[in-house]
Amino acid sequence: MTGFLSLLTVWSSLLFAADAPQIDIVIGPKSPELERHAARELSDQFAKLFDANVTVHTEVPANSAHLVLVGNPLSNPAVKKYAGDWPKLSDQGIVVKSFKGKDASGVIVGGGSPVATLWAAYELGYQFGVRYSLWVDIIPDTNPELKFSGYNIVREPVFPVRAWRTVNDFPIGFESWSAEDQQKLFAQLAKQKFNRILVSVYAWQPFVDFEAGGVKKSTAMLWYGEKYPVHRDTPGKVAFDGASQFENPDFAGKEGYEELTAAGIKHIRHVMASAHDLGMSVALQMSPLEFTSEFEKVIPGAKTSPSLNNVLIAPGEKQGLDDKALKKLVSAQIRAYIETYPNIDALYLTLPEFPEWEAHAEEAWNNLAKQHDLGDLTLESLTEAASERNVIASGERGRRAIRGNIAALAFLNGLLADGKLLKREDGKAVELVYAQLDPALYPIAEKILPKSSGMLNFVDYTARRVVENRELLKDVPAKKVPSQFIFTLADDNIGILPQIATKRIETIARDLVEQGWQGFTTRMWVPAYLDMTVHFLSRFSFDTTTTARSAHDEFFLALTEQQSSTDRLWMAFEKLEEATEIIDENDIGFAFPVPSLLMKHYQSDPVPEWWGTALNVYVEFLTELYRGGSNTAPHGYNYIFYYSKRSEFPLEYLTAVQAVREAAIAKKEGNIETAQEKIALAIESIFNCMDILSDIGHDQSDRAIIAILDAYAFRPLLEEQERLDEAAEAGEKQ
Amino acid sequence: MRSQLIPTWCQCSFGVWTVVFGTMSILLFGVDTYAVAGDWTQFRGPNATGVSTDPEPLPTEFSTSQNLLFSHELGVGIACPVITNGKVITTAYSPEAGFVVYCHDAADGSEIWKTKFDIDHDALPKKIVPPNEHASSTPCTDGERVYIYFSAIGLLALDLNDGSQLWSYSLPMPYYLMDWGPATSPIVYEDMVIYCQDDDLDQYLIALDKKTGTLIWRTPRPEMLGGYAVPVLCTANGRTDIVTAGSGKMQGFDPATGEEIWSCNSLLRTTMSTPVVKGDKIYATSQSYGDAGRILKEALMEWKDTNQDKKLAKDELEKPFWPKFEKADTNGDGFLIQDEIDTAFQAPTNLVGGGNIIQCIQGGGTGDVTATHLLWNLDHKAPSNISSPLIVDGRMFVVKKSGISAAFDEVTGETIWMQKRIRNLGDYFASPIAGDGKIYVTGENGFMIVLKQGPELEILAKNDMEDTCIATPAISDGRIYVRTLKKLHCFAEGAGAGQ
Repeated sequence: MTGFLSLLTVWSSLLFAADAPQIDIVIGPKSPELERHAARELSDQFAKLFDANVTVHTEVPANSAHLVLVGNPLSNPAVKKYAGDWPKLSDQGIVVKSFKGKDASGVIVGGGSPVATLWAAYELGYQFGVRYSLWVDIIPDTNPELKFSGYNIVREPVFPVRAWRTVNDFPIGFESWSAEDQQKLFAQLAKQKFNRILVSVYAWQPFVDFEAGGVKKSTAMLWYGEKYPVHRDTPGKVAFDGASQFENPDFAGKEGYEELTAAGIKHIRHVMASAHDLGMSVALQMSPLEFTSEFEKVIPGAKTSPSLNNVLIAPGEKQGLDDKALKKLVSAQIRAYIETYPNIDALYLTLPEFPEWEAHAEEAWNNLAKQHDLGDLTLESLTEAASERNVIASGERGRRAIRGNIAALAFLNGLLADGKLLKREDGKAVELVYAQLDPALYPIAEKILPKSSGMLNFVDYTARRVVENRELLKDVPAKKVPSQFIFTLADDNIGILPQIATKRIETIARDLVEQGWQGFTTRMWVPAYLDMTVHFLSRFSFDTTTTARSAHDEFFLALTEQQSSTDRLWMAFEKLEEATEIIDENDIGFAFPVPSLLMKHYQSDPVPEWWGTALNVYVEFLTELYRGGSNTAPHGYNYIFYYSKRSEFPLEYLTAVQAVREAAIAKKEGNIETAQEKIALAIESIFNCMDILSDIGHDQSDRAIIAILDAYAFRPLLEEQERLDEAAEAGEKQ
Repeated sequence: MRSQLIPTWCQCSFGVWTVVFGTMSILLFGVDTYAVAGDWTQFRGPNATGVSTDPEPLPTEFSTSQNLLFSHELGVGIACPVITNGKVITTAYSPEAGFVVYCHDAADGSEIWKTKFDIDHDALPKKIVPPNEHASSTPCTDGERVYIYFSAIGLLALDLNDGSQLWSYSLPMPYYLMDWGPATSPIVYEDMVIYCQDDDLDQYLIALDKKTGTLIWRTPRPEMLGGYAVPVLCTANGRTDIVTAGSGKMQGFDPATGEEIWSCNSLLRTTMSTPVVKGDKIYATSQSYGDAGRILKEALMEWKDTNQDKKLAKDELEKPFWPKFEKADTNGDGFLIQDEIDTAFQAPTNLVGGGNIIQCIQGGGTGDVTATHLLWNLDHKAPSNISSPLIVDGRMFVVKKSGISAAFDEVTGETIWMQKRIRNLGDYFASPIAGDGKIYVTGENGFMIVLKQGPELEILAKNDMEDTCIATPAISDGRIYVRTLKKLHCFAEGAGAGQ
């Protein structure tokens, strides 16, 4: 009987296959790999969208009812034959255009380059209702009408550089993602027309090996050297599938400098190859004036550069702008990256976030002033302006920032002047981009930056803060120096809590277009709620009529098929952005993922009023997500459920924070019993946080938050509970 | 708010009833049937009590490396294992593997047979609130056949010896207003397979001939809302009734005809936990979100009125509910408003709300027994909305989220303890079970807490299953069978480190 049922199923599917529509895709006989990939991707999408039989040809088949031509007139003779007037395109221009010839009709999916053709293929899928998130494609349950007529989409990007930053720092970000994880992510980004992967690395990480001044690099670690064991009683530990500690899978079991570095280099090469395979350029971002501590022998008197666990050093007063040992060290480090990763297309040199090398700022300024006409500007006036501005680096930090920035810039300009340092082994020059030039230097950037270099600009940590200082953007000579902007999609200071900034990013993006910026890179750690922001950037980059709201509607109407659901979800994301800004305004480092994460709140100051406000807004966020998700079309259900269920996490977290604070207050008042109750409540709430993430988490960032909560919240709370129990017991004995 | 949404489906299925050969369970459970000692033939074992009377010792401490007899990777499933005639039956579903029923040797874990059903994944409900899964309904067995419910198939019977399919009986796909998804379980009684399906669309209790799958009777339950209580049997006053717990009502039915004999109208809006029969008394615990005034309409307006215009539009509900919608839209304006919503999905004769109950009902009544047979009724916040109570040693034991337990006197309902933690946080979807003087409480986080049966809470062990646990474990012949989300483990005293 069972066998018969199985047979029947097979027979039905054969019958079904026979009834399936036939779609023919034609590529050029010598089409490049990316165009072939585009054809494969279209085949896959058509099979899912239309339950179709799809055949890929190199010549146009006779009497095809549903015909798709992939490529452009240069790569595909069929396109040349049927396209008619082919639009003038840049290498990033895309075309989705219906055609009707004497003997054939269908749609052309093409672009100004093979990768643009790939983007056009994804655009056609988008037109049929497919939506791309950072981790999954959402395909409509109901087959759309199979119709290739009526398309005439020709688009060019307003942002030629659409970069995604990866690796960076902290386990909650991509530093914990395997190369394979990232490969899948990049595939999703390619569908959203991102075209550059920016691999951002730190000196202490295990991604390069070099020697300078007789000292060999010997520090190699992830996550600033922090470890995250999984204990028997770690809540949500099933998410780790039996592992004894949370790890980046590419580094599992690796110990010691040599093993870690070998694994690290393999990891980054894999990451870079994955991006290149998708037609993306690859850039590497590093901080050339930061080193691991063993190199203090090379630069005696080096300063400790502020970082978690103090794992970096930077030049000190003893190192002048012409310090030969420093030059050799910096050169060795830069060359090591270029030689280890010989296919990189661009190098982003970060001017340190906390510039410590300021002793030689006057000399550096004088050097720059000699070489360039800097008008009436003086170091003093710049320093004053930096001190008084309203961004995170202001006051004393602002003063030091501008001085350190100028010293670093003058030093690097000298070092890079002959161009040799940035030559790849194949003789090609690596594109140079300076990252994080101090905003006070924007007006003279064109003069003080090397010719043909670009700049990557960072005004402040959050998009809200950038918008509040948006006049600074006007100072950037974006039409003269290729300028990219860092969009903070989610900030590491706000940290592990759900956050979003899409509306603020829209405001900035419009400014950038108006000012002629080259593009952007992302800055974020936890992808959780960022699909909407990424989707907005994707659509806006090719169509500036797109708004945050219209992008949201385009995305969620395809998933929910209900305007009312889409509206509720918009309200949900508005609430999330509101919560993000409440935290940003009141305590930006509220959930920064470091050891003091939770227990910094274990002090007896009164409970801040804004905690309650934030909690209420997160409750509204949750309510609207559940309400919006309750009436969604079936194919959007699981996707929205991830959002909904995950939205319980901040409620539990804020409950824990408040309980911790109340415990501290009770303890100070000598009320140990209440302190015990509050700590027990905090433990329960943190447990629930971890349990929720374990239930629905689907990536390394979600798992990392569990690991971090275990190390920095759950375990410290258990220890405090034990101390309180002992105190209570001692009190009872007295 | 959260409990309303996160939850409910899942009262998955626990057990059924017991095979019919050997010694008795009548004295213990008041059911006029016989069961083979050691068998655990339905959701939560003998008559869904969760109590094993086997004399063999059961392990206290066990894990994937201690006292493990065997372990199998099955795939995803949350139905409970059932055991009969030396065989343990489990189920799993994945889009790739389809729906699979496994039969393993209960003593050594060797696979005896496996029957796979190729399911069209698109035919399954797309919306199911986790942690519910498609393989959620616990099979039952009479020692010859295995009876299984799977939403895309209906009810079916397999030959216990070789897993071949003997019959199937198609049933309509259940729908839940809150997308909880199917998860109810059949039982077998005498020559019948009894199955209760309380969804939000078409509620019924049916009896099929267990040999042929022929329908014997079908009793509509139009007053019910979505719920997951498994039917139990209560012998009292000289007769055995099929007892079901549902919206607002505990009801007794004649097994021969399916006719309602009695109703005790003391339950809440949503009933997910299964009642327990001890002697001639029926014990029920339930938590249904909100207070007594929170009828279904309130939940609908909070969650289904997506645009919050205080009206329920047709497209705010799934299509299967549209006929009910149209019937309720008395003025034909295309919306349900005010009174129209009250009774669109909830019977006007049964507009019950939420709350907490712990009750003891005397079985064997006739007609409306609310005033006469409700022996005691507590309004404590002790019960779970899903996990069922355990009646053992003269006490009722309950556990809910965060591992908070309570115990009550079985006869008087007096509190023995309240709000005591069993030292394991998290959710509790599985129901507690008992055997060998111990109580086994399974947390969703994969820890099984072992308590000593007694008048005080005493924790004996905390055992790690290393996987999510939704299903209620089973006890048979000195062994504990634990169906985690992906695996089946069998533990026994002195078993070693397993295979």
